[in-house]
Formats: sequence, structure tokens, C-alpha cells
Amino acid sequence: MTYPATHHEDHFRAGHALGLDHLKVGMWLFLGSEVMFFGGLLAAFLHYKVNNPTPEAGLLDVGLVGVNTFVLLTSSFTVVSGLAGIQRGDPAAMNLYLLATIGLGVAFLGGQVYEFVSLFRHGITLSSSVFGSSFFTLTGFHGLHVLVGILWAASTFLRGMRGSYTRENHIGVELFGLYWHFVDIVWIVLFTIIYLI
Amino acid sequence: MERMRSLAARLRRPAPSWLRYFRWNTDHKVIGVQYIVTTFFFFLVGGSLAMLVRSELLQPGVDLLNGTEYNRVMTNHGSVMLFLWIIPVLAGFGNYIVPLMIGARDMAFPRLNALGYWLIPPAGLLMLASFFVGAAEAGWTAYVPLSIRAPDGQTLWAVSVILLGTSSIMSAVNFLTTIVTMRAEGLTIWRLPLFVWGIVATSVLSLTATPVLTAGLILVALDRVAGTQFFLVAGGGDPVLWQNLFWFYSHPAVYIMVLPAMGIISEVFPVFSRKPIFGYRMIALSSMAIAVLGLTVWAHHMFTSGMDPRLRVPYMVSSMVIAVPTGVKIFSWLATIWNGKLRFNTPMLFAMGFISQFLIGGLTGIFLAAIPIDLHVHDTYFVVAHLHFVLFGGSVSAVYAGLYYWYPKITGRMYDERLGHTHFWMNFVGTNLAYLPMFLVGLLGMPRRVADYDPSFTTLNQLASIGGFLLGASVLPFLWNAIISWLRGPVADANPWRALTLEWQTSSPPPENNFERLPVVTHGPYDYGEAAPRSPEPVPSPAAGE
Amino acid sequence: MQTPPRTMSRRTLGYGAVFLLLAVITGIELALNSLNLADAVVDPLFLVLSLGKATLVAAFFMHLRQDNRFYTVIFVLPVLLLVVFALLTIVI
Repeated sequence: MTYPATHHEDHFRAGHALGLDHLKVGMWLFLGSEVMFFGGLLAAFLHYKVNNPTPEAGLLDVGLVGVNTFVLLTSSFTVVSGLAGIQRGDPAAMNLYLLATIGLGVAFLGGQVYEFVSLFRHGITLSSSVFGSSFFTLTGFHGLHVLVGILWAASTFLRGMRGSYTRENHIGVELFGLYWHFVDIVWIVLFTIIYLI
Repeated sequence: MERMRSLAARLRRPAPSWLRYFRWNTDHKVIGVQYIVTTFFFFLVGGSLAMLVRSELLQPGVDLLNGTEYNRVMTNHGSVMLFLWIIPVLAGFGNYIVPLMIGARDMAFPRLNALGYWLIPPAGLLMLASFFVGAAEAGWTAYVPLSIRAPDGQTLWAVSVILLGTSSIMSAVNFLTTIVTMRAEGLTIWRLPLFVWGIVATSVLSLTATPVLTAGLILVALDRVAGTQFFLVAGGGDPVLWQNLFWFYSHPAVYIMVLPAMGIISEVFPVFSRKPIFGYRMIALSSMAIAVLGLTVWAHHMFTSGMDPRLRVPYMVSSMVIAVPTGVKIFSWLATIWNGKLRFNTPMLFAMGFISQFLIGGLTGIFLAAIPIDLHVHDTYFVVAHLHFVLFGGSVSAVYAGLYYWYPKITGRMYDERLGHTHFWMNFVGTNLAYLPMFLVGLLGMPRRVADYDPSFTTLNQLASIGGFLLGASVLPFLWNAIISWLRGPVADANPWRALTLEWQTSSPPPENNFERLPVVTHGPYDYGEAAPRSPEPVPSPAAGE
Repeated sequence: MQTPPRTMSRRTLGYGAVFLLLAVITGIELALNSLNLADAVVDPLFLVLSLGKATLVAAFFMHLRQDNRFYTVIFVLPVLLLVVFALLTIVI
């Protein structure tokens, strides 16, 4: 991003003096807003789970989704390992880990689809009941966020293959990582609230 | 082409094309003007809808509009005014002024900034287009199940508000990042102008509260189009859940609508009193306190919803506590102008009008926070009067103050003071005439959101309608002034008000990159009356062409 | 500024160790779930364990522990607000 500067200036002088990168500040603020967005959906889910508990919840497959949780956690590990790679100046490692992340993300979504379909077979859909409505909306939006993450991972991977990231300059990888880990954290919370408790 | 050349000659500087205001442009000053002009258009739309409302209410009986039409006009009056005018116009001011006030060349994310603006015209068109398919009719609060059953326009309304909320969140990310990371050298947080503090507090609210409304609106949309059961009792849904999701945003939203406005007032008073602001830190901290407290009190809008009675008292108490930081501001402003060398230019008139009108609105807000009072006046015209005093008497007065105050900076021209005074008095008389009777008629029992009323309320309604029409007319001297002065008004210099904040230390309008050299700040923004007045270094270069 | 590369010092956990912890905690959760204990017993445990996992991801994978404290503030405050809102929404 170029600014119409007349001299060599640090536009983000104040941020740098505080040890803050403006892109990271922006990303964390965005993630803060996403916390509240999922919070709204979560509040709706919890409201009904506590006040209108239904036996439909017994049909949830904790085992399968537990495996899915491992998958997503592993993908967080691959993302951060990819970041560590480019920090070492090893773009090949970064690209490999990004590819692994994409694979794991797709696997996670596959697992979610499988879970959704098996619930459909039991007659639980978006419109079948309040449980169906709140379950599919909450997990559906999480899945959408994973999908966006996969697309972002692919874009980061393509840039990585073109050599856009170096040991000195890889903020884009870090920003992508923050988003991906956030989506993982949301899943950690969702898994507990929906499947365990 | 010829007209543009002669205009340029008169301005004595090269004129960038006015077409840039109609295109994608990442300059925060262009975006700021785009926001202000676009939202003012929607102000006129919302105002026209209000004229329809007041015309219907001139007489008891459903005469001009039928009940459904009235509900649609009333709903969109509120929705347009809140979502398409007051919230985004304040963001527009923030966009134009904040980078200048902090000595930066632009916002942290200029492209995100442009994107945030460009969500507004389609969202506005969507909301207005809803009239073609059966406009939203459930009030701006869209309570379920009415909003689930309403015609298609209600879905368009929901999508429109989601888009506007997204724009608001983008602005919040941009403002906070910009203010934290792009302040000029020497500009510590305790030297930030109070308008910037207001924007910080507002952005915190926008960032945290708006997404919850987005979630709620998605649930409403899903109930409407996907058959979900979130809010339909027959399917196990709970209408009160919508109220929680809605008000969790919409209460902080009223502070989003007033904190930047109060920031504008804090800018105007010291300049037009030639005195430092009284209690700078307390005013700054009070903005943050109002923001934090404001996030916790939403259920005071739900006292009659059947909520657990034991929870009502804590909400009452916390709501009343917000009066404390608000009072701190009012007393500080009064102390600022006390014994000041007052100049009654139009911005100052509107700022003073703000104080009295916001006071009436704010105090009646405290009445409403008291549960026993609220149980009687909830959903009556008492509430309508309260909200118009804070939003119209308060926020809109402050917007006008800001428009006049920063008019020379933005346009490079000075407005006409006599027209400004005319506008002010018509606005002030109109506001009081329109809304004071509403307190009375509400206490007498007239419900809100009705096209018909008991004939005993007629006189008060007629007074209110006359006041409303006067307000409608009051816009005319403002529009005339704004347009003619921009085209033909006297050229303004860099600092016609002799103010000390950084936006006045560069030309009017500022050059594309805001400052010839980035300023270095050595003192606070309100050091008026100092023995040896200092201006921020370096000495500003003369405006090009002078 | 970009997070500086992690040095494998003893004061902090490596990514592999964090991942292992996350896997182990998830395993414990699944095991607890299959034991069919009373809700009142396991629910608080689940909440604590998941809070632990989330903290591990945020602190180590997202580098909140290493970076400027301001990022942590930006993230934690909405989380606290969300908890307050969700709890109140259940009861109101």
C-alpha cells in the first residue's frame, strides 16, 4: 500500500514505537469482531440447549466429530509449522505445510458433511426443530469460515510457490495463520458446547 | 471543461476532478465527503418519511395512509435515520477528520475504507427498494414474530442492515488501527483531540456489538426464507431471544450515535470560547466509561418483555450509572464556556443547542430507566420524545455543528453566517415544538407506532406536526447555504477559526497528502489563551497558490 | 512487526509439544465423554479443558505469549463480553 508521501516516512511510526504491526492490529480487531459474531450464534444455541433440551442431541456422533477435532487441531499445527518454515527462510517447507493444511481442512469439511448427512437421515434438518436450526446454523457458519480459510490457504500457497514470501517479509503468512487458528479455537469451543456438555 | 477551468482559476489552485466523488477512491477525504453527502441524502429521505408520519398524525383517524402503509413509513423513517444517516454520517466525519487530527496522511487501510463506503449506496437502495415488494413494517426494532411474517421487503431490510453493519465494523477496525499506529510524533494519547477519543469509544462499540446484531439478523432471515424455528413459538422458538440479540447491539448503538457527536461538541466549545477545554482527561475517560457501561445495559429495553423480574433491578441501576460520565461531560462543557470569550458563530449555536436538547433527552432517559416509570410509559410517545431529543436535538445538532465548523476546511469556502443563524433558530424552535408535546401525550397514554389516536390527543399532535414541518423547512436554508457557498462563497484560509488542532494547520482543503511535512506535536489540542501561543512545528507552508 | 522466530528456549513450549498437549487433552475429553458420568461432574471439566486448549492455541500458535500484550487485550475482552452475554441470554 503506497501513500502519497513526499519524503521517506514511516506512516506507522506510532505503532512501531509501541511494537505493533498495523496489519496485525487490524487482524486481531477483526478476530475480536468474529468472536462476537460467533458469540451471537452461540448464545442462540445455548439458549435453546439449556431452555429447550431435546433428545435429538443424543444422535450426535461424538466419536466421529472427535476425530474431526483432531484433524483441525493438526491443521493448526501444520499452519504454525509452515510459518516457522518461512521464518527460517525455508519456503519449500512452508509450502508443504500449507498443502497439508489444505488437505486437513478439506478432510475436516468432509467429516462435517458426513455428520450433516447422517443427521439428515434421522430427519434432523435446518427446519425440523429448534435444535436442527441452531445446530446447523452454528456449525454451518463455522464450516463456511473453514471454507474461506481453505481458499485463503490456497492463495497463500500459490503466492508461496511464486516466491512472494521471504525470511524478512512474510506477514501475509502470519495473518493467514491467525485467521486459521481462530477458526480452530471456535471449533474447540463449539465441540465442547455442542457435543460434550 | 470551461466551467471547471474558471472554477480552478477562482480557487487559485488546480482543481482535482469532482468526478472522483462518484468513483472508487481511497483518499480518506474523498471517502469522508462521499459518506457525508450520501448520508445527508438519506437524512432527507428519512425526513420526508417523517413528514408523511406527521401529516397522518395531524388528525385522529387513519386518513392519509392505511394502517399497513403507516407501519411501513414509520419503520423506514426510523431505519433510514438510524442506519443510513446518523451512524454513517458520524463515520464520515471520522474518516475525513481523524487522519488530519492525528497528523497522518490517510487511514491505516485505505482500500478497506473505500469498501466500507461503497457498501452504503447498495444497502440504501435495497432498503428503499423494499417499498416495491412490501416494505419492512415491524418497526426499526423488527420484533418477532411480526418481522418473520411480514412481506418480502422485510428480508431486503435485514440484508440491508447486515451490509450497513459490515461497513460499520470495517470502519471500526480502520479507526482503531489508525489511531493506535499512525499518530504523529509527539501526539501521545493524552494529547488526542476529544473527537478522536469519541471515535475510539464508538469504534470499540461498533466492533463488539454490531456482529451480534448481524448474527440475529441472519437468524431472522433464516426463519423467513429457510424455515428455521428460531423465533416461532409453534416450532419451539423464543421471541425474547431476538430482543436480546437485537438490543445487545442497539443499546450500544445509541452511544455509537452520540459519542462522536459529543466529540464534535468538545471540539467546538474551546475554539469558540477561546479557552482550554475543562476536564480534558475526565471527558476522554467518560467516553470510554460510557462505551463500557453501554455494553451491559441492553435489557432495560426489555422491562416489559416478561424477563425474569429479579434481573430488572441490576439493569435499572447500571443504566442510571451511565448518567454519571454523561453528567461529567455536560458540566465540563459548561465550565469550558464559563467566562470564555464567546463567539456565536453557527457551530457554537448548534453546540449550545445540543446541551439543552441533549439534557432533556438524557434526563428523560433516566426516568425511563426507572422500572416503575418504564412499565407505564414503555411503547408510548414518552419514549418517542426521549429518543428524538437525544438523537435529533442532540446528535443531529452536533452533526450540524460539525458541518458548519469543518465546512471551510472541507470545501475551502466559508458559509454564510446569516443563513446559518436562520437555520439554527428554525431547527431549535422546530425541535422543541415537535418533541415537547410528545412527552405530554405519551404520559396521557398515546401509544407509539399508531396511525390513529384518541381525539383528546389532537391538539398536542397538531403542535408536534407543525414543529415537524418547521424542521422539514429548516433544512432549506442549510442546503442553500451549503451548495451556494461551495460554488461561490468567499475563499477560506487554512484556519479561519484560529483553532489549534492539527486539521487547521494545513490548507483548506488540505492537499492530497494532507500535510506538506508531517507535523510534530509539542502541546495539547486546547491550549488557548496561553501566554506564548505555540503552533505545532514545522511552521505550516502557505497553501498552494497564495 | 512480524513475530520474531521462536527460539527453542526452555522457558517456552515448542509447537510439537503444544500439539501433543492438545491431542492428549482431546483424548481425555473423549474418554470422559464415553464414561457416562453425571453432567454436573463432567461439564465443568469439559469447560476447563476446552479453555485450556483454546489458551494453548492462542498463546503459542497465535504467538500471543510472545507478542505485544495489546493483541491479547484486543482478543480477550470480546471473549469476556461474549461469556457475559451468552450467560445472560440463557436466563433472560
